[in-house]
Amino acid sequence: MQTFVTEAVDWPESAPELRATVRALVAEHGERDPVRRANCWTKADPDFSRRLGEAGLLGMTWPKEYGGHERSQLERYVVIEELLAAGAPVGAHWIADRQSGPLLLRLGNDELKERWVPGMARGEVFACIGLSEPNSGSDLASVRTSARRDGDEWIINGQKVWTTGAHWSHFMIALIRSEAGSERQQGLSQFVIPMDAPGVSVKPIIDLTGAHEFNEVFFEDVRLPASTLLGEEGQGWRQATAELSLERSGPERYLSSMVLFLELVRHAEKHADPATWDLVGRLASDAWTLRLMSASVAAKLARGEDPALEATMVKDLGNAYEQAIPELVQGAIEMDLSGDEVLASVTAYLLQVAPSFSLRGGTREILKGIIARGLGLR
Amino acid sequence: MSDTRRMLAEMADPLFAELGPAATDSDWSRLDELGLPLLLVSEAGDGFGGDHVDALTVFRLAGYHALGLPLVDRIVASREEEGTEAHFHLGAFARAAQIAGALDAALAMSVAYVNERQQFGRPLGKFQVVQQELATFACEAAAANCAAMGVAEALDRGDAAFEIAAAKLRANRAASEGARIAHQVHGAIGFTQEYPLHDLTGRLRHWRSEFGGDAYWSKALGDSVIARGADAFWPDLTARAD
Ligand SMILES: Cc1cc2nc3c(=O)[nH]c(=O)nc-3n(C[C@H](O)[C@H](O)[C@H](O)COP(=O)(O)OP(=O)(O)OC[C@H]3O[C@@H](n4cnc5c(N)ncnc54)[C@H](O)[C@@H]3O)c2cc1C
Repeated sequence: MQTFVTEAVDWPESAPELRATVRALVAEHGERDPVRRANCWTKADPDFSRRLGEAGLLGMTWPKEYGGHERSQLERYVVIEELLAAGAPVGAHWIADRQSGPLLLRLGNDELKERWVPGMARGEVFACIGLSEPNSGSDLASVRTSARRDGDEWIINGQKVWTTGAHWSHFMIALIRSEAGSERQQGLSQFVIPMDAPGVSVKPIIDLTGAHEFNEVFFEDVRLPASTLLGEEGQGWRQATAELSLERSGPERYLSSMVLFLELVRHAEKHADPATWDLVGRLASDAWTLRLMSASVAAKLARGEDPALEATMVKDLGNAYEQAIPELVQGAIEMDLSGDEVLASVTAYLLQVAPSFSLRGGTREILKGIIARGLGLR
Repeated sequence: MSDTRRMLAEMADPLFAELGPAATDSDWSRLDELGLPLLLVSEAGDGFGGDHVDALTVFRLAGYHALGLPLVDRIVASREEEGTEAHFHLGAFARAAQIAGALDAALAMSVAYVNERQQFGRPLGKFQVVQQELATFACEAAAANCAAMGVAEALDRGDAAFEIAAAKLRANRAASEGARIAHQVHGAIGFTQEYPLHDLTGRLRHWRSEFGGDAYWSKALGDSVIARGADAFWPDLTARAD
């Protein structure tokens, strides 16, 4: 039994050059505020996204026909890990580039692809994820938002919640019950819903830091042409599960607190203290290991394999790591959390948001359940 | 996997399984026949001429089967002179790989046990808490395996001081967490001499301290990261493998 088979990751020849390009771009146009560099993939900056698009760093693996750049999966991986490590404000386009684009390219009809994909590759069109509902969190198969066929159209009614970026997005890919009376995983379909369609309304939810990142989204008799059905009718569950693999496997699942680790090192450069050396060593060891694991998953995806189990392990370990960093830093260093020292303010921010790391994208308990099943338990 | 490596694994796996923790000095000849003690000695020096990923394969299997002979230490000593830093580093890599193997074996043993053992009218493996603990264990075993592989690759590239420190530290922590969970899910049976869990967990306990414990490596790694400075951390990390 070997739980996680690794092989050497063959980093692309272009990696050093891509890294240099990203670093220069972030140095010039990135986020200046150290607090906003933490957990940076929820921080929307449409200007920055557009610049990435201009530089050819979005939709990197997509066909040129749709504005993509036909680069390899690992080249894209190099770019996104650089952006995250540097704390770049990538929130606006993150979901579009990570999952909505690939999903549309894989399953969408020509009309959907032509309408949405080139704008995403330019960094001008953004997307959100419509999975969770008030009564469907971890138990996603219980979604109730409905689509009813009416001639050539679908009529959508219901509600999504916790929708990150609904207020800056141009469309949502939503998991919806398209067969009346169906139960659980049956009778679900995915729809591409323009956020400006009549009957769609977005209501902010302010999070515990006072920020507006997620929302409630209501659908009241939203009429959509049949062409907005994504993929196959009734196959929504299977499609959404495949989408979750894209959503869960990336380096953002361990890098959300990298900025704080770097601040810790900066602090240690000036204050000699054995406890801090130890902590830096431990966190560096974890960062190195997680990066290997994450890149190994990316390499498997690039080869067309489906490392769903490995990806789940990396997310679980990665979330635990990014969640532990602010706690450990707070424990190791005396600081005034309400002060304006950089180390303290980044710690204070991450202590507040860290609980979300093991909730978003599937909770720790749900991930561990998936891993257990992979081990042959249940 | 290269052909030599597959061949190596196919030879070592059944042999180590057969010899197991009860291996005695009279079994050395079986290991010698395959040229295993000279695994890391060049062919020019009449050795096997393996690389570090080959070594990982053998070290890991020796850990997996809790091999009762110090084959791993012989391989290390035949490559690097005892008392040198290079010997200490290679030894740390070997222990990380053995930990990775032993964790996978203890995990497999634990999964098989909870699927078999019934309490409250069902297998223990049906209880969610037990499942979640074993999922945590699997993640730790995975981390140790990836870390060991990362060092093997780095050693084949050249300087691996950073990777050795990072990997031994990570494997040490996995060893402790994995052994804890393995014992917990086994209940009292795992606390007996008869049941083979202690062959693995006893070794894990020693390997964690040998060739550098947690504090040793975290200090070494911490010092080197701080000396390079915050701004160098990420560029260094990526440049080492690019
Ligand atoms: C910052 C943030 C952004 C998000 N963005 C989006 C988004 O853009 N789009 C979207 O669709 N959703 C989004 N979500 C929602 C997220 O997917 C859900 O929060 C998550 O799936 C959990 O659902 P829930 O919050 O309803 O918790 P619940 O499912 O009610 O769970 C509460 C607790 O109970 C545990 N639990 C539940 N079921 C079990 C079980 N069977 N066994 C053991 N424990 C269990 C959970 O693990 C959790 O600890 C976001 C969430 C956060 C925090």
